[in-house]
Amino acid sequence: MTPPPVLRIERLGKRYGATLALRDVTLEVAVGEIHALCGENGAGKSTLIKILAGVVRPDSGSITVGGKPLRFGVVGESERAGIAVMHQQPTVFPDLDAVDNLFVGHEKTRAGGWWLDRSAMRREAEATLAALGESFPVDIPVGNLPLAQRQMTALARALLQNCRLLILDEPTASLSARETAALHAAIDKLRQRDVAVLYVSHRLDELFSIATSVTVLRDGAHVLTSPLGAIDRAGLIQAMVGRGAAEQIVDRARQGDVAPSHPTPGRPMLCVERLGRAPTFYDVTFSASQGEIVGMAGLIGAGRSEIARAIFGIDRYDSGSVVVDGRRLGGGSVREAVQAGMALVPEDRHCEGLLASLAIDENISLAQLPRLSRWGFVRRREERAVVGEQIGQLSIKLGAPSDPVHTLSGGNQQKVVLGRWLSTTPRILLLDEPTRGVDVGAKAQIHHWIRRLAGQGMAILLISSDLPELLSLCDRIVVLRQGRVAGEFRRDEATAAQVMARALPDNPLPGIDQGILP
Amino acid sequence: MTRQDRANDPGRDSGDGSGNTAAGGAGSSRGSSPGSSSGGTSGSWYSVRSTWRSPAGGRELGLALLILAIAGVVGFHDPVFLTGVVWHDILVRCAPAIIVSCGVMIVVVLGDIDISVGSIMALLAALLGRTLSSHELQWSVWAGVPLVLLSGAMIGCVTGMLVTLGRVPSIIASLGMMTLLRGFATLAMGGKNIDGLPEAVVHASKTGWFGIPLGPWAALLVVLATYILLTRTALGVRIYATGSHPESAGNAGLPVYGLRIFAFCYAGFLTAVATVVDVPRLPKIESGIGSELELFVITSVVLSGVSISGGRGRLSGVVLAVVLLTLVRPVLTFLSVGEAGEKWTKAIHGLFILLAVVSDRFSATMDRRKKSR
Repeated sequence: MTPPPVLRIERLGKRYGATLALRDVTLEVAVGEIHALCGENGAGKSTLIKILAGVVRPDSGSITVGGKPLRFGVVGESERAGIAVMHQQPTVFPDLDAVDNLFVGHEKTRAGGWWLDRSAMRREAEATLAALGESFPVDIPVGNLPLAQRQMTALARALLQNCRLLILDEPTASLSARETAALHAAIDKLRQRDVAVLYVSHRLDELFSIATSVTVLRDGAHVLTSPLGAIDRAGLIQAMVGRGAAEQIVDRARQGDVAPSHPTPGRPMLCVERLGRAPTFYDVTFSASQGEIVGMAGLIGAGRSEIARAIFGIDRYDSGSVVVDGRRLGGGSVREAVQAGMALVPEDRHCEGLLASLAIDENISLAQLPRLSRWGFVRRREERAVVGEQIGQLSIKLGAPSDPVHTLSGGNQQKVVLGRWLSTTPRILLLDEPTRGVDVGAKAQIHHWIRRLAGQGMAILLISSDLPELLSLCDRIVVLRQGRVAGEFRRDEATAAQVMARALPDNPLPGIDQGILP
Repeated sequence: MTRQDRANDPGRDSGDGSGNTAAGGAGSSRGSSPGSSSGGTSGSWYSVRSTWRSPAGGRELGLALLILAIAGVVGFHDPVFLTGVVWHDILVRCAPAIIVSCGVMIVVVLGDIDISVGSIMALLAALLGRTLSSHELQWSVWAGVPLVLLSGAMIGCVTGMLVTLGRVPSIIASLGMMTLLRGFATLAMGGKNIDGLPEAVVHASKTGWFGIPLGPWAALLVVLATYILLTRTALGVRIYATGSHPESAGNAGLPVYGLRIFAFCYAGFLTAVATVVDVPRLPKIESGIGSELELFVITSVVLSGVSISGGRGRLSGVVLAVVLLTLVRPVLTFLSVGEAGEKWTKAIHGLFILLAVVSDRFSATMDRRKKSR
């Protein structure tokens, strides 16, 4: 007879605007199980964790913990139910020492509950840490401790508060090999104390060594649940990316109704040579020619956006060079990049791209106000002409150009950002996740536009977590893993499984273990 | 790499990391943990108990040395400065600010700010005068004083509720309260000044016991109580925890709103205490009482090293900072002839606050440099 599961998730659904983040996900985690959760970026893992943590309220479905239903969207309810969530950066209280971190909210007291019993708490804190195989000073602020020890603090707190379900979200992403081994040993000790563990990681080798079973999510839906003994690495990757090789060709034929943008690309426009900025990316080399769409694949945190920002001059780089049409840029200057004919449509349009309180037309004309103004005054008629052209070209659906930009839908907002940069007629376009969170129709239009721009001779760097999008649009795909180029594929050689296999990290960060951080 | 560097350098292992990989996995057992592989002994940095809940242990030391240096220099210039009379006066002057700072400091540790304390004092002084004065209602001290204390706590409570339940940023909420209460104070005074407080109250405030007036006694009591509250009770730990990471505090089930309301309430109550012990010392009660008290108190709190974003700061620093700022005016009087010097008081307060902030920035930058090396 099997004991009842600690966690039972049933038909959980969550929608953000046009995107279905979770559809009917069902999942069970049993006592003493280490259950791995896998999926590409955007597969719904984060949403699931946020719901379990009580931060996000789902639209449908139910969750029971230890047989009792979990009330949704109530902060603190999850901890009361015995769920502890540990993120890559553990949420500890950085200014408190380890003892206080372990006990705050459940302090040990004497004299009628008023006087703190520091010595008892200290003894128990040290004992709990020892049970996890750790011993470090418990009376300095944990913010001064290394990440691994902050994580141990969070684990010890979970253990002390009688946690029944421990959720770990990429806990080892920035740990060294020895710290990872220590963390795994601690997790195993928790498991032996009948804590169920839900373990999210992109390091598949790690999952095979620590987890007992695995669930794969894809596009918000449950794909498979299996004991880890019954599946191999290739099978797991296949489940994460979905489509088999044959289906991909069909996909590509369907989506890529336009042939590769330029069968013979023109002269190289953007050459990036051995670009490095510690500790985010190292030795990145690739190029994009006139009329070429170069895709950049990789997991979140692989350093893709940071590379785009460095190329565009927002951030400085430590080493390497960026050459635009034969001319080397000095780096660290957006002005220079724009003058060289570059444009960047950033990842987070709300923070970095749009000025939400300004009007649509103001947002579009922003990038070329100097050209449109005389004596500091904007020449409205010419501004209107430029804005009108972009609105027409991109078929932005709007009421009036003077409406505030936040009244538009996500897809149309993205088009406004695109329009701003297209009106400057750039020669090189850096697109960072241009279709994230936009609906299918707008996505197709943006794809169409990217192809047309490449057809007109623009060199395009397309950063995307959407593998089918990259596979159907790009002439070449550069794969990044932990800040380094892990592979480059021509259009005709790339498959989703190959790209994913290159993008997944299997070893702890090399820069940490081999001490080659500059 | 020194031990301290490493401790400051999260996520990075010591250089001697062997080539073993994560694949060691679940069953691997180790003799010692990696994080503490350098051994659990002595390292002076770890054993400094005083770093507990403090950004930089050196702030109090710096303040204390500055106070001593100033006293030394001015005393050398004019030995009268080192006599009991002068320090008695300084003690009496800094008492109300110390009392109020204890409350405001807790508000700041929680990540909020309260700039209404000066106006609270004005309104409560009016209330005290109206109820107790021999020309007014002539209430008993045992009725008037508790009423004032209760009112202070209630006013703080209102600000706290605006900030938490009303979700108004604390600087705006307390700015509103500041103006509103100053207006009420003017109304309550009815355009005149009040004198004629009961003899017992005036005597306590002016003369006190064992040669020390009520103000410093009350300050001592309040500092002790607040110190115990912050460092020895669960409430104190929860206050620091909430200020340190409000989101985690909520997730840990701490009553975040309750704690923040309590802090405003406590600040209001302590302002009432300061009013009761200090105001009767004055020849008469005017509506301008307590003006700029809030600036003085917040300057002290910032100068003491309490993090304005919450979570860090120690009471001892706050007390020293109040003393230092209180010193400025008498020191200037002693150093220069006549009143010319006193005009510099404000400018020097401002200089102190900027110095404190710049030195914080500087040490933070040095820390970051050390880490990135």
